[in-house]
Amino acid sequence: MRYSLLAGGKRVCPIFCIAACELVGGTLPVAMPSACALEMIHTMSLIHDDLPCMDDGDLRRGKPTNHKVYGEAVAVLAGDALLALAFEHIAAETKGVNPSQIVRPIRELGRSIGAEGIVAGQVADICSEGMSNISLKELEFIHLHKTACLLEASVVLGAIMGGGTNEEIEKLRSFARSTGLLFQVMDDILDVTKSSLELGKTTGKDVLAHKVTYPKLLGVEKSREFATCVEVGSIRKCFHL
Amino acid sequence: MVFSALSLSPLPCPRLRYHPRTRPSAAQFSVRCSGSVSPTIQSKSALFDLKTYWTTLIGEINQKLEEAIAVQYPQQIYEAMRYSVLAKGAKRAPPVMCVAACELLGGSRVAAFPTACALEMVHAASLIHDDLPCMDDDPSRRGQPSNHTVYGIDMAILAGDALFPLGFRHIVSHTPPDLVPEHRILRVIAEIARAVGSTGMAAGQFLDLEGGPESFRFAQEKKFGEMAECSAVCGGLIAGAEDEEIQRLRRYGKAVGVLYQVVDDILEEKRKERGVTEPEKNKAKRGKSYVQVYGIEKALEVAEELRAKAKRELDGFEKYGDTVIPLYSFVDYAADRGFIFGGESSS
Repeated sequence: MRYSLLAGGKRVCPIFCIAACELVGGTLPVAMPSACALEMIHTMSLIHDDLPCMDDGDLRRGKPTNHKVYGEAVAVLAGDALLALAFEHIAAETKGVNPSQIVRPIRELGRSIGAEGIVAGQVADICSEGMSNISLKELEFIHLHKTACLLEASVVLGAIMGGGTNEEIEKLRSFARSTGLLFQVMDDILDVTKSSLELGKTTGKDVLAHKVTYPKLLGVEKSREFATCVEVGSIRKCFHL
Repeated sequence: MVFSALSLSPLPCPRLRYHPRTRPSAAQFSVRCSGSVSPTIQSKSALFDLKTYWTTLIGEINQKLEEAIAVQYPQQIYEAMRYSVLAKGAKRAPPVMCVAACELLGGSRVAAFPTACALEMVHAASLIHDDLPCMDDDPSRRGQPSNHTVYGIDMAILAGDALFPLGFRHIVSHTPPDLVPEHRILRVIAEIARAVGSTGMAAGQFLDLEGGPESFRFAQEKKFGEMAECSAVCGGLIAGAEDEEIQRLRRYGKAVGVLYQVVDDILEEKRKERGVTEPEKNKAKRGKSYVQVYGIEKALEVAEELRAKAKRELDGFEKYGDTVIPLYSFVDYAADRGFIFGGESSS
């Protein structure tokens, strides 16, 4: 668990969570258990994603993937244990907040990482492999669920913990969705334009796995243009917060 | 004779319908002698129709599970989840134990059902992962092919990954807040997360696969006792049990969970001796068994110790009167297997 969780990583989800919490008037200590839980979830999804039966990754965060070091069985269990720990951590360690403000994030997180969230994206991704007629809409579904969901959960959890209003929570949700999509479009572009060494994770996998990506559907240049549009949209939403 | 022979039909016994009541008042307590309540409860338990109680609850829980995992896009993942959760051979021991523990303390089953369903989702998730080729490599489960043999390893991993959070979400979204205050819901969440995680079932599974003989008993407690312990504790939490009552339920649950597994191992050994095992299951199962490690005589002793221990813990619920009977009956069922369900299989 520690190997993957403490391997570095950008900590985008926890930072988004804390930033959202502070934006609506909350404090860092209140958000911290949720922030850490989000990173546990993110790490867990990477460990499982990298398994041979899934994306079969060799490198992650600049180091060999979890199953390469500990074996598949331990990698599966480590992922499961991190998922459980995330929920336990939020439920047991969040202090200075009403129980109702902790129960709601649990519900939100449960929705975001399960069959209506991250898993939905992963399943749609697997089912699209090798298919030639995937639409842009289906691709967007995959990315909104595979990546944006957790970013969305991050800001929503932070905003709830910080005592944000429903309106504030929804604006943050919308902002995170488009930012998450932006992340993934850029990820797709980097996967075909950069090396594994530069990125610290196995690249070129998307092509090998016949996965549909933005560069594959639109070409690299149009994908960059699309990313710019999404970025502009995201910034606009940011100013409305 | 400690255990009844493996029977293929229910033992004939007079049917005494059990109707769970609200917390009993002093006036409802039956007159009993000043010693331990056990002899009276013991005789009532022998007459209690556990099979009907259990199968009725199974029906209610199955319906709620069916509704909780309705198919939507992308269909494959929901089908994979439903395949394992709604398997006909499932006995629903964790949810039934949760409801029984809740009702023991005067809680309502309406309050307990969402948690009971969540326990079953989480239980199914851990079984899906346990059966994977890299883990126990079990080709069958609950009387049907294992999830990964039908849907593929990737979908099986994702089905488990989806069922865990669905369980937590289900508790929060479906537990009536007027019946269970939110701080107790959080304790239930924390309890289930702990039971599933690195100090619970994940630890047990790891040690079962990679631990040496010295860690065998600990591994078995974690792998099999944890779910039963968690179920009993969650039922208690829902009903608002005191801390001391929670600890009793914890010890009771762990004893029953391990007892069930020890007896499973003994019955498996007896089937092997009679030549009626499923060879495919024997070859595939990698975990160790009590009989393999201790021999059958010692395993029988361990089972009797666990039976006695579980019942001793229930003595502490004397003041609740007859509402303890279902939990009491479970102990004898775990040891004696006085009846079978339709499509009986392990878990």
